[in-house]
Amino acid sequence: MKSKTLDSKKLIALIVGAVVLLALPLVLPNYALLILSFWELYIIAVSGLDLVFGYCGQISLGHAAFYAIGAYGSGMLHEYCGIPVFFTMIIAAFISAAIGALIAYPSSKLVFHFLSLASQAFGEIVYLLISHSPGKITGNYQGFFSDYINLFGYELDSYTSFYYFGLVCVIVFLVIKTFMVKSKTGRAFTAIRENTHAADGMGINVRKYKVIAFSVSAFYTAYAGAMYLHLTKFINPDTFMLKQSVMFLTMLLFGGSGCLLGPVMGSFVVLLVNEVLRALQDYQMFVYGILLLVVVVAMPGGLYGEIMRLVNFIKGKATQKAEVK
Amino acid sequence: MLRTEGVTIKFGGLTAVNNVSVHIQKKKITGLIGPNGAGKTTFFNCISGVYVPNSGHVIFDGKNIEGKRGWQINQLGIARTYQVINLFWKMTVLENVMVGMHSRLKSGFWSDIFRTPAQRAEERRAIEKAYEWLDFVGLKDNANDPAGSLPYGGQRRLEIVRGLASDPKLLLLDEPAAGMNTKEKGELDVTLHQILEKGVTILMIEHDMKLVMGVCDYIYVLEHGQLLAEGLPDEVQNNPEVVKAYLGGDDE
Repeated sequence: MKSKTLDSKKLIALIVGAVVLLALPLVLPNYALLILSFWELYIIAVSGLDLVFGYCGQISLGHAAFYAIGAYGSGMLHEYCGIPVFFTMIIAAFISAAIGALIAYPSSKLVFHFLSLASQAFGEIVYLLISHSPGKITGNYQGFFSDYINLFGYELDSYTSFYYFGLVCVIVFLVIKTFMVKSKTGRAFTAIRENTHAADGMGINVRKYKVIAFSVSAFYTAYAGAMYLHLTKFINPDTFMLKQSVMFLTMLLFGGSGCLLGPVMGSFVVLLVNEVLRALQDYQMFVYGILLLVVVVAMPGGLYGEIMRLVNFIKGKATQKAEVK
Repeated sequence: MLRTEGVTIKFGGLTAVNNVSVHIQKKKITGLIGPNGAGKTTFFNCISGVYVPNSGHVIFDGKNIEGKRGWQINQLGIARTYQVINLFWKMTVLENVMVGMHSRLKSGFWSDIFRTPAQRAEERRAIEKAYEWLDFVGLKDNANDPAGSLPYGGQRRLEIVRGLASDPKLLLLDEPAAGMNTKEKGELDVTLHQILEKGVTILMIEHDMKLVMGVCDYIYVLEHGQLLAEGLPDEVQNNPEVVKAYLGGDDE
């Protein structure tokens, strides 16, 4: 009986949330919709990073590279092969997943700062490739132009349509993430994070699962990169520098890693901070540094962890009161 | 069931395990004892795939398994626990057991991310089975607590049941009673016999002589990486070499 009322409460919350999300474009100005569209693609990118960092415990400072592979891959497949834009995004994400697996296989023996250095080096290699490409196929420093997303003849040429498209993408990616982490695969990830040695002893092929985590993560982030390209229709190498990887990591850590809502909250807060402090763009890394310090010193569980602690605290008080009565 | 032939492992100039041959009988509890630093855990690590022996063979069910990796050996049917408790601290007690089932679950990456009907059915059965295992060691009520919140004895029992969850033919226990009080040791004695009744063979390192002598069918004694003695508990207990190794000789 008790669980039933809880379920109906949840259902109501879900319906209200859905209505709000669907109605937002009717009330918000275009600029706000652009920000929300960015939020959507950052949620996907950071959720991908969460799989490899939050669940599997492998740090990556090279996710800007996968973001770039998704963006440039999708753009170039459209430009040079004439494939419709939506399909290019998916193909580019699969290419990125394959590259992620290739990178993860040899580096799966590396841990902590060695892995962060290796992934950072990978990021730099991709950055150099897109900024000094042979025959200027990526447009180098001049940047690269592309088209809007084309969904079976319907062009997503407004922020409103992109927002709805992004909403569907976020839901699909988050559902798949939830399915994955609450399964044999996800338990293997977490076991590797918690104790690699014991995971091996429990029959988990550690290398295989590290490769899977990296590969899926690369898929998520590359898909977000492709969304980014077809939202702004223009990219240049500046977007894909180390600071982008640091931004993803900041979003993840600030929001809270190893959970569904952490990346959602973290990407929103960091995105807002970026927008509000647009004038201080040169000090972006400095701002990320402060945010990371706040996380390390004051809230190790990130925003989501702190909120959950508060909720549990209040719940605990409530049950205490009930017990007293 | 499990045989080792002249297993030797060297770290640099130190020979940690020297030419050890044992034969573990099916459906028996075999004890491995010896003073600290005798190489017992190192020997365990050779069997379970953490180390590859420099020479010698490990034969399990008629197959050579030396050189295989830990996860492959677990899939073949050897599960283990650790001397230093190696649980997945932030996962729940139930999840720990389910990780233990890893090599017996058939679902793969694609069926996991699309949550196919077969995967769902398997997960449901796995959860039921995990609860049964927890019930077996009396941890059912703690199923949804983080493993790190269990008291010490509970952690030890969870390690054992996590190993059992992979339906092993052979269970390697590295000091299961370490840090347990008398009451818990008594319960462990019962649990070990129940495990044996399930058809699981046990090889166990243990320092608690009362437990070892009471529960083991056969005992091997290691000292300085070498096999010092073997035999039934009574024989080993009265073996002058063993007594000397434990209490120190007069002539040294």
